[in-house]
Amino acid sequence: MLSYVLAGLSLGAIYAIASASLVVTYVSSGVFNFAFGAMAFAVARFYYWLNTQQGWSIWPAAAVALLVFAPLLGAALYGLLFRHLRLASVTVKIVATIGLSVALPELVKLVLGDLPDSTAPGLAERPLTVFHPFGAAVNMDQVFTYAGLVLVLVIGVGVLRYTDVGLKLRALVDSEALTALSGSGPGRISLGVWAASATLAGLAGILLAPTTGISVEGMTFLMAAAFAPVVAARLRSLPLAVGVALLMGVVTTVIQRYLDPSDPLSAQIVPSIPFAFMLLFLLYYAARGQAGDDSQGGALDRAIRPEAPEVAVAGRAQSRRGLLSPSVIGPIVTVAIAAVLPLVLDSYWSGLAAAGICLGIALLSYTLVTGEGGMIWLCQITFAGFGAIVAAELTTSAGWPPVVAVIVAGVIVVPIGLLLGALTIRLGDLYVALVTLTFGLLATNLLFTRDPFYSYGQGTLMTRPDWAFENVVFCYLALAAFVILGLLIVNLRRSTAGLAMSAVRWSENGARTLGLSVVQTKLLVSGVATYVAAVGGGFLALNYQSSLPDSFNPFLGLIWLAVLVSIGARSITAALVAGLVFALLPAVFQTYLPAGWTHLPTILFGLGAIMLARNPEGVIAMYARQLGDLLGNRSERRRRSGRGSGSTGPGSPDETTAPTAERVASGGNA
Amino acid sequence: MSTSTDTVPPTATAPPRIEARGVTMRFGGLVALSDVDIAVPAASIVGLVGPNGAGKSTLFGVLSGLLRPTAGSVLMDGEDVTRRSPQDRAGRGLARTFQHPELFSGLTVREHLVLAYRVRHAKGRIWSDLVTGRGLRRAPAAEDERVDGLLDALHLGGLRDRPVVGLPLGTSRLVEIGRALAVDPNVLLLDEPSSGLDTRETEDLAATLRRIVTEHGVSLLLVEHDVDLVLGMCHEVHVLDFGAKISAGKPEAIRADPAVRAAYLGEATDPAEETA
Repeated sequence: MLSYVLAGLSLGAIYAIASASLVVTYVSSGVFNFAFGAMAFAVARFYYWLNTQQGWSIWPAAAVALLVFAPLLGAALYGLLFRHLRLASVTVKIVATIGLSVALPELVKLVLGDLPDSTAPGLAERPLTVFHPFGAAVNMDQVFTYAGLVLVLVIGVGVLRYTDVGLKLRALVDSEALTALSGSGPGRISLGVWAASATLAGLAGILLAPTTGISVEGMTFLMAAAFAPVVAARLRSLPLAVGVALLMGVVTTVIQRYLDPSDPLSAQIVPSIPFAFMLLFLLYYAARGQAGDDSQGGALDRAIRPEAPEVAVAGRAQSRRGLLSPSVIGPIVTVAIAAVLPLVLDSYWSGLAAAGICLGIALLSYTLVTGEGGMIWLCQITFAGFGAIVAAELTTSAGWPPVVAVIVAGVIVVPIGLLLGALTIRLGDLYVALVTLTFGLLATNLLFTRDPFYSYGQGTLMTRPDWAFENVVFCYLALAAFVILGLLIVNLRRSTAGLAMSAVRWSENGARTLGLSVVQTKLLVSGVATYVAAVGGGFLALNYQSSLPDSFNPFLGLIWLAVLVSIGARSITAALVAGLVFALLPAVFQTYLPAGWTHLPTILFGLGAIMLARNPEGVIAMYARQLGDLLGNRSERRRRSGRGSGSTGPGSPDETTAPTAERVASGGNA
Repeated sequence: MSTSTDTVPPTATAPPRIEARGVTMRFGGLVALSDVDIAVPAASIVGLVGPNGAGKSTLFGVLSGLLRPTAGSVLMDGEDVTRRSPQDRAGRGLARTFQHPELFSGLTVREHLVLAYRVRHAKGRIWSDLVTGRGLRRAPAAEDERVDGLLDALHLGGLRDRPVVGLPLGTSRLVEIGRALAVDPNVLLLDEPSSGLDTRETEDLAATLRRIVTEHGVSLLLVEHDVDLVLGMCHEVHVLDFGAKISAGKPEAIRADPAVRAAYLGEATDPAEETA
């Protein structure tokens, strides 16, 4: 038993280092770093390159990786990305860091090369020395892990409590504005925090490498597991985060003593433990009303904070409508191009185009839930997975016609989305993101990998309808589904429900005192978005002719979201473009460019999401707006030159209208 | 709101449109409101004044249902609504504005009023529009007439299709007031409505508010720092200080009350000088 506990403390120590880093960066900058795993991978990969590939001995390699490379990486990322996120919304912060998590590992692979074998040494010499305290076994890697945590805590507490830098950092956490007024440079302090954070990420990555290897997946899983202690600490309490991390590590290893290693369920339960922890804490805090939006900074910070750019964008997006506006012409042209693709492409490429259109359908769910509803759900891919599995089962096991199965599967999946929507209604944006990601990971670990759904990763067979077996016809079937769902979303957006959704999104108090039900409105968004995601999943299964549960991993869903949001979260056209780009771009690179360039599409997807920090509306929406502004300015100039000047200036009430209290009373033209 | 143009006189027998009885609100150890009573009769304007931190906005939160009081009760038309939701109270005719305008950043000025109008007059459309596609068609004439009339009356006609993001504070307040009026309320709670407005706009707003009270029997509870506006408009004024009601009565009596002068108006204020 002691061996399990000691091994658990070692695992918990790594979680603790990771969660401590996440807490410190969150409280000091308001950015919840979804790129932590990518940063851990980058530093660990650099350490491996120095140590194993360049032949450096352990300590010089570790010193250069952790004390030179990692701080430089953190400082560079702060300068390029994190400092621009200070005033951004939670959505932009999350998506931009997701973009970094997508781009950074691929960039590292591009520079340092792919690892054929991901097993890696830690900080201990090989062969490992093993100690036997009280009859238990502890190896040198574990000793270094304990030592690493102790070192981090001693240095961290020492710096925070007893140094001038610590004092400034604590002041920064309370109020950035007042810190700046006192003469301390918040920028320099933040830069230091991000440099230290990258060092902690690297340390966690290097300590984890002997167990899981140097892989993006392993590091991302470490990060996701470390979310649980951070949530337990309500994003702020460092001691609680460290304590829960250690407890979680111990529970994860001790529970293995009681599980049957031959039972496949055991292999699914163990990796799910951190997410079960997180779910328990989230539900606990939600029940106590302690998982709302976390207000950053002090009163002065809130008073002087400008409106987030995407808020302004959301307003502008509705300012111009009409048959000749870009918002009407753009979708028509895009759908027309998508319709031409199957005619001009061969079978291979039209198959990819079909996959892109099907993905576009699934991405429409993000357009609804995130773009319209402002809810950051990171599990839409899981709903797509449910849709694929249920549709495939209905088709293969129950003999239903495939298209009917897809439509009905969507309806069957909706209650799951409604339940999740009901559970998350009172949570703040960041907590919603975390709980939905957790839900996705749990569903993937515990359901998608179980037979009969899994079948060694092949899933359940899902045949296309006979009349749509060919890629060309299937492309048109998928495009028709996309257009129908797109029109439904347009209808929703222009409807009273759409106005209510927008009201609830921007001010729940304003909406409630107006007489709107926040619960009903959010459930409406949840239900419709879940349905669209599930139908998209069903179409993806139709495209691949199998449910392929592995293709609905929540981490892939993060890339889906990053690609969509970087093109335009509120744009229906963007969903189609994002789907096609996601499906076609990697194949274009693989087919027409040198092999070394295969990482570039993923890097571009990630960079697109990072760019969101500068252009929160996304690429398509930005260009559509600029085009609209151009056309609008021209017509305005024509109008003015036609009748002379004299229009009301923006931002001021209409000066030409006579004050008429009568109109208020009588309802109009008194 | 009634469409009658007759003045609706306050009656002694009818229960107040909205009433707080013995309301206490604690946030942990902080007592924001302590045993506060206030009543707003039909067709009357009641003022609520007090220094910053006196508990005025907290009382608005309690009255509108956003806060549930630690003790005491809230009644609308004599019915206890203490445990009723804000939506329920809105359905009974309560509308409010906020000290910091709570606008919907994704909507235009006009869409704020359209939504408010539909919530009151066509609430079923929240669901039925999804099936009928009515949101894609032209709005009913009555809706256009009411909404555009309100926009013009509040001098917002030139901004009707402009998103509310970036509007000046005073204009944002007018949009919020327009939104509140578009639900045709029985009771209107206005939190510092003149803040951000210039003198002429404030006068226009006061005239507008008086008109809806006298012609349509709307009850108005007004939190305002512009003492002249409050004392000039209100039938009755309540004064809060540190969460407790320290005075209530006719504006003239409030102006002369030494306790109020000490707590809020300032000792130097001389009623004789004020009226001179």
